[in-house]
Amino acid sequence: MSDRIVGAGLILLAAWYGWAAGEYEAPFADPLGPAAFPQLLAPVVAGLGLWLVFRPDPEPDWTGGRVLVLQAVSVGLMLAYALLIVPAGYLLCTTILAAALAALLGARPLPAAASGAAVSVGTYVLFTWGLELSLPGGTLFAGS
Amino acid sequence: MDIVSSLGSGFGVALQPYNLGLAVIGCFLGTVIGALPGIGPVNGIAILIPLAFSLKLTPIESMILLTSVYYGTMFGGRISSILLNIPGDAPAVMTCLDGYPMALKGRAADALAISAISSFVGGTLATIGLTICAPLLASAAIYFGPPEYFALFVLAVVAVGGVGTGNPAKTLIAGILGLVLSTVGIDPASGVPRFTFDSFELYDGIDFVVAAIGLFAISEFLMFLTDREGGQGKRLPVGQIRSSFRDLIFPAATLRSSALGFVIGVLPGAGATMASFLGYTLEKKLSDKDGTFGKGDPRGVAAPEAADNAAAGGNLVPMLTLGIPGSGATAIMLGMLVTLNIQPGPLLFERQPELIWGLVAALYVSNFILLVMNIPLVGVFARLLTIPTRYLMPFVVVVSYVGVYSISNSPFDLLLMTLFGILGFVMRKMGFSMIPLVLGMLLGGPMEQNLRRAMQASGGDWAILVQSPLSVGLHVVSIAMIAAAVTFELRGRRRARAAAAP
Repeated sequence: MSDRIVGAGLILLAAWYGWAAGEYEAPFADPLGPAAFPQLLAPVVAGLGLWLVFRPDPEPDWTGGRVLVLQAVSVGLMLAYALLIVPAGYLLCTTILAAALAALLGARPLPAAASGAAVSVGTYVLFTWGLELSLPGGTLFAGS
Repeated sequence: MDIVSSLGSGFGVALQPYNLGLAVIGCFLGTVIGALPGIGPVNGIAILIPLAFSLKLTPIESMILLTSVYYGTMFGGRISSILLNIPGDAPAVMTCLDGYPMALKGRAADALAISAISSFVGGTLATIGLTICAPLLASAAIYFGPPEYFALFVLAVVAVGGVGTGNPAKTLIAGILGLVLSTVGIDPASGVPRFTFDSFELYDGIDFVVAAIGLFAISEFLMFLTDREGGQGKRLPVGQIRSSFRDLIFPAATLRSSALGFVIGVLPGAGATMASFLGYTLEKKLSDKDGTFGKGDPRGVAAPEAADNAAAGGNLVPMLTLGIPGSGATAIMLGMLVTLNIQPGPLLFERQPELIWGLVAALYVSNFILLVMNIPLVGVFARLLTIPTRYLMPFVVVVSYVGVYSISNSPFDLLLMTLFGILGFVMRKMGFSMIPLVLGMLLGGPMEQNLRRAMQASGGDWAILVQSPLSVGLHVVSIAMIAAAVTFELRGRRRARAAAAP
């Protein structure tokens, strides 16, 4: 079933991709403009999508339940990290991310927090002093 | 001899103190990355690319760093295979079979020494092979025009991805999707922005490093959550080497497997994992007279290790000479070179010989460093294996994010990387290979440009694509590889159905 869904998704993607490519035109004479290559690819994608719809593999073993929740939480943390790194600053965000991920993998709260802080400070020192790169200090809190 | 003098000047580059220092660091990091289960060669090299950019390394310096990491991972994988019975990376699976039983018998130090020596021999022989073969292949450069390059890139993306690894339709889909992703951004030929959703962050296209780190490193974390029950194995002690030096080398097994590994490495689509598998199988067939293989036969350690290190060297041949990588790790290295505005391929040998020969010389040097480093320091590497993965994996994730942020300063790239992580996880679960996707993203740009250049030359006549024997030959190989994969797959299905029926 998963394969059929992906196959159908690919057909839709191919349709949009080929259609969107049709809008592109080169401002000068070009035997093969910016639209041609995508329009060559689109039918191939659609054809392979059809193949998946009609000849799917056996269903993969999707682990549901607890693992899915853990994965959703870790993806959520990573997305939040990307959005918050500039306003909240590198040190705070990284400590929380590393500590939370360690906890998700089964570390106890105290060692998880300690490892988060260690990873955060360690990489901060390495990147700012060792490699002389600037990591965001954070603007959310006054003074920094 | 042309090669000898070129190589001599290469050693001049490789032995400069700074380059030598990078090689030592690379070898050390590579061994650690290879040894730690959970970080393989591909994601290890991917997360180190931002480091190479941050250090503002020149192309030759970055390549020395990354190739010594690459060779190092091949050395490191065996350590956890032998001591933990968990392969540190995929090619080291076969080393578990006889390495762990040796360690159980208290011969861990012997097994580590044997595998270090055969790794060194395999790696060095492959580097010699590279030294001889690469200039020969590169001299074919004059026969390559835009139609031939187009055919070559088609071959690389469509057929190389993975022969005999699962469903060929999925391999093709991954490759074509990579090509689709490569069209995002401003079209270099006409200046038209394509598939950018009017978001200026996408005008430069999707950064290859962001995609690669997301696909490999972030998805690894998500995979790890699903099977973390495996947990930490019990590490066996290293102990002392008990045998004499003569009992630690197995010339026949090592040489056979090295030759086999190198050939497999040069062939597109087959990497170190297949090489170590075939190396072990061949050796077992030839020398397992008393049924000792699988119970701690030292030849069962020497053979796969020689083969996988030789394959690693062999993999560099098509990457450097034709610009088509045969494995994930070389694809990532190619990506870095392209990002540094160097397009590997036949012309590279003429235009930048000091880069190629410096790199080749550096490979000899790093192999030697690895051998010297691995015998006395094996205890240190073994101790690293006791780092619990629940602290190690978050560290890898953090380094991935910092690395990407440090080169782009763009939170958008961090979001994109996370999305690629999810994509990578789903692809792995559903049996899509990620290497064709990465290849497609890398080679899509040059593929389209060569196609358009060819069409400009012909005034829009498609026949130009099949007018030279070389391009016809390349297309025939592509079609043959797809046909072979499809028949293989159909036959497999029929057999599975026959087995299921009573």
